[in-house]
Amino acid sequence: MQTMQNMHEYAFFLGCIAPNRYPGCEASAIKTSAKVGIKLLPLEGASCCPAPGAFGSIDLNVWYAMAARNLCLAEQMKKDIALICNGCYKSIYEVNHILKHDEELRGRVNEILKEIDMEFKGTIDVYHLAELYYDPKVCGVQKIRDSVTTPLTGAKVACHYGCHLLKPKKERHLGDTEAPTWFEELIAAVGAEPVEYRNKMMCCGAGGGVRGYDIVHALDITNEKLINISEVGADAISELCPFCQLQFDRGQIEIKEKFGDVYNIPVLHFNELLGLAQGMSPQDLALDLHAVDCTPFLEKVL
Amino acid sequence: MAAKSYDNPELNKKLADQRYHNSQSNPEFTKDILKTSRTVANMCYQCGTCTGSCPSAPRSTYRIRLFMRRNVLGLENEALTDPDLWLCTTCYSCTDRCPRDIAPTDVIMAMRNFAFKRDIVPRNFLQTVQLIYNSGHGVPNNDVNRAARVRLGLTADPPTTHMYPEYIKGIQKILDLYGLKENSDRILKGD
Repeated sequence: MQTMQNMHEYAFFLGCIAPNRYPGCEASAIKTSAKVGIKLLPLEGASCCPAPGAFGSIDLNVWYAMAARNLCLAEQMKKDIALICNGCYKSIYEVNHILKHDEELRGRVNEILKEIDMEFKGTIDVYHLAELYYDPKVCGVQKIRDSVTTPLTGAKVACHYGCHLLKPKKERHLGDTEAPTWFEELIAAVGAEPVEYRNKMMCCGAGGGVRGYDIVHALDITNEKLINISEVGADAISELCPFCQLQFDRGQIEIKEKFGDVYNIPVLHFNELLGLAQGMSPQDLALDLHAVDCTPFLEKVL
Repeated sequence: MAAKSYDNPELNKKLADQRYHNSQSNPEFTKDILKTSRTVANMCYQCGTCTGSCPSAPRSTYRIRLFMRRNVLGLENEALTDPDLWLCTTCYSCTDRCPRDIAPTDVIMAMRNFAFKRDIVPRNFLQTVQLIYNSGHGVPNNDVNRAARVRLGLTADPPTTHMYPEYIKGIQKILDLYGLKENSDRILKGD
């Protein structure tokens, strides 16, 4: 365990789906990060990021202002933001970046924020917890490996990176978006075997409001990914985004109902996998809230 | 007069119009999209890399390249009234691969913004607005989840607007300043 002085502190931006549907993602983020020198502090009064698909599609100006309000809360704490959802990353990281570099837009957003006694100053940065785990300046793969007490050996895990953490590449800083492997390194660090599969970087299908607009269309995309993932015999899917998690997890139930295809592949956020590897119990992670039963995977690794 | 002329005034007029505008074209639309999308959408040369990268294309009639062309031609009506506009999952694969360094995804987002100005928007988008207006969350907490959170040693409600509802007022003010709640109420009622 780190001493307090060595802890990297971040304002923990929760979003919606992690705290309100998969609380195990939130609990495991707080507990696993504490074991590798990262302290996640509550960001009081934060809201939805807001959902980039829904809000960005309706009125980008509202999207900028609402995301800026969340950023202001962290600026007031004088802490950088860490978060665990790719959708949140799109809103919070991208709006922070745009407003820092576009003076005219910043002025317009601040006119709105003035009405609620806030001002976007551009004094903090935004990170996904997974990139902090991978970054040797903050944590690094070795430290993740060292924190493992129950290696998840014998399980094949398919990595789903999701979209908004890496793409568009020119507005991000996480490297290659065609065949990245850093997530696989993190999976190997917790003792599991990462497996490659066809069209790995394809979308889960849920984003852009499509899950709500045309669920069959969204599920058809998910189904293609599940076919590719099942073909390589994966025991579980791991992702970095609770919305992708929802799409793969509840989506498998919906795909069974609508298309008759059955996969039963458990879907776990990387935080949840790391939690298991650090000795958290399935009860500590509320894996019973997952739609797809995680038991076969758990029996294999624990 | 075009560089090459024919004994056909109508054809000459067409050849002189290097933007291929027709009676349906609104050149202002192209400019509006440029400004809102923050990407040089008018530079598209129709190679089709976007459609080839699109996960929605193989399972629908949605063709991102077609929307890019409609933008260049200023075909506002055609673009904004096409239901396929709402099939983009915003995965940004097209944006990453565009050889012209355009962000077609952001063109779609801008077009959706202009569709909304005409009250064209799927209901689920507006329902998210309602939820955020009332709770601060697009996906709010529920009793099953509250019980699970307590079991995990978390607070029943997360330390967001759920635990600090005094922040919701500020959110409502932002949404009201843009007239978003009012507009979404009106559109939902009109159905």
